[in-house]
Amino acid sequence: METVQGTQIDSLHTHNHKVKKRNVLSRLAKNKIAFISLWFLVFVHIVVFIGPMIWTVDPEAINPTNTLAVWSLENPLGTDDLGRDVLSRMLHGGQITLLVGFASMGFTVLLGGIIGATAGYFGGWIDAVLMRITEAMMAIPNFFLALVALTVLGQSPVMIVVVIGMTSWMEIARVVYGETLKWKSLEFVEASIASGASALRTLVGHVIPQVIPTIIVASTLGIAWAILTESAISYLGLGIQPPTPTWGNMLQNAQQYIWTAPILGILPGAAITIVVLAYNFLGDGLRDALDPKHIK
Amino acid sequence: MLHFILNRLWQSIILIFIVTIITFFLINLAPGGPSSLMRMDASEEERQALITRMGLDKPVIVRYGEWVKDALQGDLGVSLSSGQPVIQRVAERFPNTLRLASITLIFSVIVGIVLGIIAAIRRNKMSDYVVNFFSVIGLSVPSFWLAIMLILLFSVTLQWLPSSGVASENSALFEQFKYLFMPVIILSTSTLPTIVRFTRSSMLEVITQNYIRTARAKGAREFIVIYWHALRNALIPVVSIIGVLIPRLLGGAVIVESVFGWPGMGRLIVEAAQGRDYNLVMGVTVIVTVIVILSNFVVDMIYSKIDPRVKNVS
Amino acid sequence: MIKKPLGILLLVLVIVLSACSSGGNSTESPQKGNDSQESAQEGPKKGGQINIPIVGDPIFNPWHPNAYAESNLVNRIIFSGLTKPGEDLAPAPHLAETWEASEDGMIWTFHLRKDVKWHDGEQFTAEDVAFTFNEIVLDPDYGANGASNFKTVDHVEIVDEYTVNFHMKTPNAALPAYLGFNAEILPKHKLEGQDPWNLTSFNKEAPVGTGPFKIGKYISGQSVELVANPDFYAGEPYLDRVVFKIVPDANTQIAQALSGELDLFVVDDKAAIKRLENAKNLNVVANDTTKYFWISLNQENDLFTDVKVRQAFLHAIDRQAIIDTVLKGYGKIADAAITPNQSFYYTDQVTRYDYDPEKAKQLLAEAGWIDSDGDGILDKDGKKFSFLFEVAQQGDLEPVAQMVHQYLKSIGLDVQLKTLEWNTMIQKNVIQRDYEMILNWWTYPTDPDVFAQYYSGNAGKGNNIPGYKDEVLDELLLKGQQTSDPQERKEIYAEVQQYMSDTLPYLYLWYPQEISVSSTRLHGAPEMYMGGKLYYVNEFWVE
Repeated sequence: METVQGTQIDSLHTHNHKVKKRNVLSRLAKNKIAFISLWFLVFVHIVVFIGPMIWTVDPEAINPTNTLAVWSLENPLGTDDLGRDVLSRMLHGGQITLLVGFASMGFTVLLGGIIGATAGYFGGWIDAVLMRITEAMMAIPNFFLALVALTVLGQSPVMIVVVIGMTSWMEIARVVYGETLKWKSLEFVEASIASGASALRTLVGHVIPQVIPTIIVASTLGIAWAILTESAISYLGLGIQPPTPTWGNMLQNAQQYIWTAPILGILPGAAITIVVLAYNFLGDGLRDALDPKHIK
Repeated sequence: MLHFILNRLWQSIILIFIVTIITFFLINLAPGGPSSLMRMDASEEERQALITRMGLDKPVIVRYGEWVKDALQGDLGVSLSSGQPVIQRVAERFPNTLRLASITLIFSVIVGIVLGIIAAIRRNKMSDYVVNFFSVIGLSVPSFWLAIMLILLFSVTLQWLPSSGVASENSALFEQFKYLFMPVIILSTSTLPTIVRFTRSSMLEVITQNYIRTARAKGAREFIVIYWHALRNALIPVVSIIGVLIPRLLGGAVIVESVFGWPGMGRLIVEAAQGRDYNLVMGVTVIVTVIVILSNFVVDMIYSKIDPRVKNVS
Repeated sequence: MIKKPLGILLLVLVIVLSACSSGGNSTESPQKGNDSQESAQEGPKKGGQINIPIVGDPIFNPWHPNAYAESNLVNRIIFSGLTKPGEDLAPAPHLAETWEASEDGMIWTFHLRKDVKWHDGEQFTAEDVAFTFNEIVLDPDYGANGASNFKTVDHVEIVDEYTVNFHMKTPNAALPAYLGFNAEILPKHKLEGQDPWNLTSFNKEAPVGTGPFKIGKYISGQSVELVANPDFYAGEPYLDRVVFKIVPDANTQIAQALSGELDLFVVDDKAAIKRLENAKNLNVVANDTTKYFWISLNQENDLFTDVKVRQAFLHAIDRQAIIDTVLKGYGKIADAAITPNQSFYYTDQVTRYDYDPEKAKQLLAEAGWIDSDGDGILDKDGKKFSFLFEVAQQGDLEPVAQMVHQYLKSIGLDVQLKTLEWNTMIQKNVIQRDYEMILNWWTYPTDPDVFAQYYSGNAGKGNNIPGYKDEVLDELLLKGQQTSDPQERKEIYAEVQQYMSDTLPYLYLWYPQEISVSSTRLHGAPEMYMGGKLYYVNEFWVE
C-alpha cells in the first residue's frame, strides 16, 4: 500500500499554531510546484465535473463494431474493449474517483475528530478504550483488514469510502486528542466544564482552529491516499464495480489488454499518478506554508 | 524498565484481543461461506453435511468462544480449505514474506538515508529537488501498475528477469537476486520515499543548528568531526520511523505478492478471505498483528536505548 | 534513486515496445498445431519435463470438498478412474477394461485391470473401488465433491478381486461417463479408518495413486513436482517430470508462456490471444468443451413466466457480437443444453432466436409490455419493467454482463447491473434463490444427461436455478436417463433440445471454446480439451 501516512507522521505533531490566511496564500504562491499543482487540480476538477455536460457520450454505451479503436474525432481517446468511448469514461470515471477521494477524506476527518475529541474530553475509561482502539488500528496492517472487509461486505462506493475511512482515521484522532487534552488543562475550562453544553461549545471553538492547519494538510494527503487505495483494491477486484467507471477499475480492466492494447492502461494509470502527485505536492506545499517553523 | 515492558505487554494483549473480535465477527457475519460450500453444483445435502462437519451450524458467539479457548492454548485451528493446521500454512508462507520485507527494508533504509542526506546537504539545489520529486512520484504511482510495466519490460521484452515466483532455496545468489529484484523495487515505493523525506527533515533540523554553523566557520577538520556527530544525532529518529513502516510493508506485500506470484502472507490472506477460510483469516491476522506489535516494541526499545533524550518512555 | 527516473523511462519504452510487438501480423490461424507434428518425425523421446501452471495450492484427493480446478488437473495425473474420456469423448477403458449393464439397467458390472499397482507397490483391487464409493462418495456425512453425480448409485458390491457391481437406485446410462469425470479411485490401505478430509499426510503431502506420475516435491504456493511412475500399467511415461507451477495471476502466466517457461495451459483471458498466436514458441488451439453459458430468469417472479418475454430477451441480445467482442470469436451460439462436442447427440434442428430488437419489442408488446407513458421504459398495468441483474466477478462474466445490460436497456427495460463476489453470489442467488436475473454457466460430465439442472424436483434448492417446472421436460429427461440404447437415447435428446429451445427454461447464450496453449516442443498430446489431454500425459514427450 503506498500510503502517505508516514509523511503525515513526520508532519502532524509539531506545528499547531494559528497562521494568518494571507500569509499562507502568499507563502504557498512562492512554492512554485505546489502552486502549479493547485491550479492543475482546479483545472482537472473543472474538466471532470463540467466536461460530461459538454461531451455527452454515454460512458456505458457499447459498440461491438468499433472496439479498441484508435483516436479519432468521434472518439478523441479511442474506445475500449467493448467499444465504449474512453474520453467519456475518463471523465465519468474521474468524477467517481475524485468523489471517493473527497468522501473518504471527509469521513476520515470526521471519524478521527470525533474519536479524538471524545477521548480527550471525557477522559477516564472512555479515553482508555478509545485510545487503545486507536493504537490497535495503527498496529494492524490496514490493508489486511480492508481486504477482508471488502471481500466479505461487498464493494459499493459507500462501502469503499467507509472502509478507507475506518482504516485511516487514527492520525487525526491522535492530533485532535492531544489538542483536546491541552485545552482541558486550561484553568478557566476546568471551572466551566461542569456546565456541560457551553464547555462543549468552547471545546469545538477552541480545538478546531488549533487543528485546522494539520487537518488541511492531512486532508490533502488523505485524498491522494484514498485515490491510490481505490486503485489498489481495484487490482484485487475489490474496488468499485462495473458498469460504474472509475480510474481504478478502468486500469484494472486494462490489465488484461496489456498485451494487445497497452494504451488502455496508460490513460487511467497516468491520470491517477498525476492527480495523486499534484495532491501530494500541494499537501507538502501547504504544510510548509502553514508551518513557518518547518524547515524548508 | 520492567514496568514499561509489563505495561506494553498488557496493552498488546488487549490490542490482539480487539483485533480478533473485529476480524472474527466481520468475516463470520458476511454472506457466503467456505468455498467448499459454495460450489455452484453442490447439492443441498452436500452443503448441509459440510456445515455440520465444520461446526458452522453453531452460533457465531459460541464459535468465537471456542476459537479463543483453543487459541489461548496455542491452537489456531485447522484451515477449512486444506485441512492443515493454520500454523503450518502460515509457517509455509511466512519465511517468504519475511525475506521480501526485510530485504526491502534494508534496501530502503540504506538508499533512503543516503538520498535523504544528499537532499539535506544540498537543500534547495537541483539534487534536492530531484530526490524530492521522485520521492513524491514513488508515493503517487499505483504500485501494481508499475509492477506490470516492469514485468513487461524485464521479463517479456528483455527476458532478463523471471516474471514471478521465488528462487529455489539452494540456488545461487545471483539467481535469488533475479527473483527478488522487481518485488523489492515495487515494495520499496511504499517505504523508500518516507525514509528519504524523514531523513532529510531530521538532518536539516540538526545541521541548521548554531553549533554546526559555528563549526563550519572554524575550519574543515573540526567541521568534519562535528558533522559526523550531527549525522548520528539526525539518524536516531529515523529508527522510530521503521516501526511505522513495518505494517505498511506487510500491507504492500499483498499487492506485490499477488502481482509477482510471491508465495507469502499477503497472498495467503487474499486466498483465505476469498475462500472464507475463517480459521485461516483469523490465524493470519492474529499472527501478523503479533509480528507488528513485537517489531514495534523492539524498535521502541532500540530507540529508547540509543536516543539519550528518550528517558521515560512510558 | 537511480531506479526512479530509469523506471519512468522504462515505462515509456515498455509501452512503445509492446505496442510494436502487438502490431505484427495477426492473420496466422489459431490452428498451428500441425507444425509440431511434422517436426516430430523422429518419434517419441524419453526424458525431460513439462511445466503446467495452476492458480492455487492443490489438494491431492479428487473427492475433497475443496478440490477445485487446480486440484483436478494434478489429481488426474496422480490417480486414475475406472474410465476416461476417449478421444471421441465416449468413455474409454482405464482402470476398468470392460463393463456392461444388466437388462433392467439396475446393475453395472465393471471388470478391472489385474496389472495395476499403487505407487507404494500395493496391488490395486476391487476392494479399493468399493471403499472409494461405499465409504467416501456415497456417505452423505462427507459431502464429497461431485458425489451428486452418483446419486443414482445405491452401493458397490465386490464380486471377486477384479470385478465390481454398481447397484443402482434408478437406471442411469451416463454412469460410465461420470466415472471418468474427476472420479478417481482412492487407496483403501491408506485411507481406511481415517478422516478422508483431514488426513493431510495424504491430501497435502504424500498421496498414493495409480496414475502415470507420482508425487515428487511439493512446495506450497510455488510448485508441485511429479515424477514418472515406472510401474504405470500402460508403461513408463516418456517424460521424467511434470511440474505444476503455482501462478495465480493471468498476466504472469502469459508472460511466462511467452518467455518459454510454460508448456501447456488454458487461457481464460481472451484479450491476450492475439499476442499468444503471434509467439513463435507457442501453439494456440481451440477445442469444444461440455460447457454452456446461460441467463436465468427467476420463474418465481411474474415478470418472467411468459415465454414470450423470455424469447424477447434472446432476440434483444446480439450473442454473435458478444462472442466476437469478448470471446474473440471462440464460441458458438447456443440453443439448448447439449453441447456440440457431443456430436452424436447434438442437433441443430432447434428454434433459433436471431438478433432482432424490433422482434423483441413486438414480442414484449404481445405479452402486454408497452411504453404507455413515453418515458422510454416499458410498462404493463401501471408497473414498469424494472429488475436487478446480478453477476459474479469471475472471468468473462463481467464484460459479458455489461454488454447484455446495454442490449436489454436498449429495448426499453429498466435493468440495474450489480456484481457480486463469487461466494456472496452463491449464497444469495443460488442457495437462497434471491435474484431476478443472473448470468452464469454450466459444465457437466460429457453425457447428454442434464437432468440435474432441469428436473422440477430440483427447483428451489437443487441445480434447477431458474425454478422452471415442466412435466413434459421432466418425463423426457427421465426417459433419457433410463434408456441405454444409444440410438433411442439420441432421439430422446433431440426432442429434449427442440423442447428446450422452444420453452427456454434458461436463456441459452453460447457454447464457449476452450483455448489451450502449448509450447511447440511438446508432442504427443491428443487434440482434446486441456483436461482431456492430461488423461494421456503418459504419451507426452518433449524435444
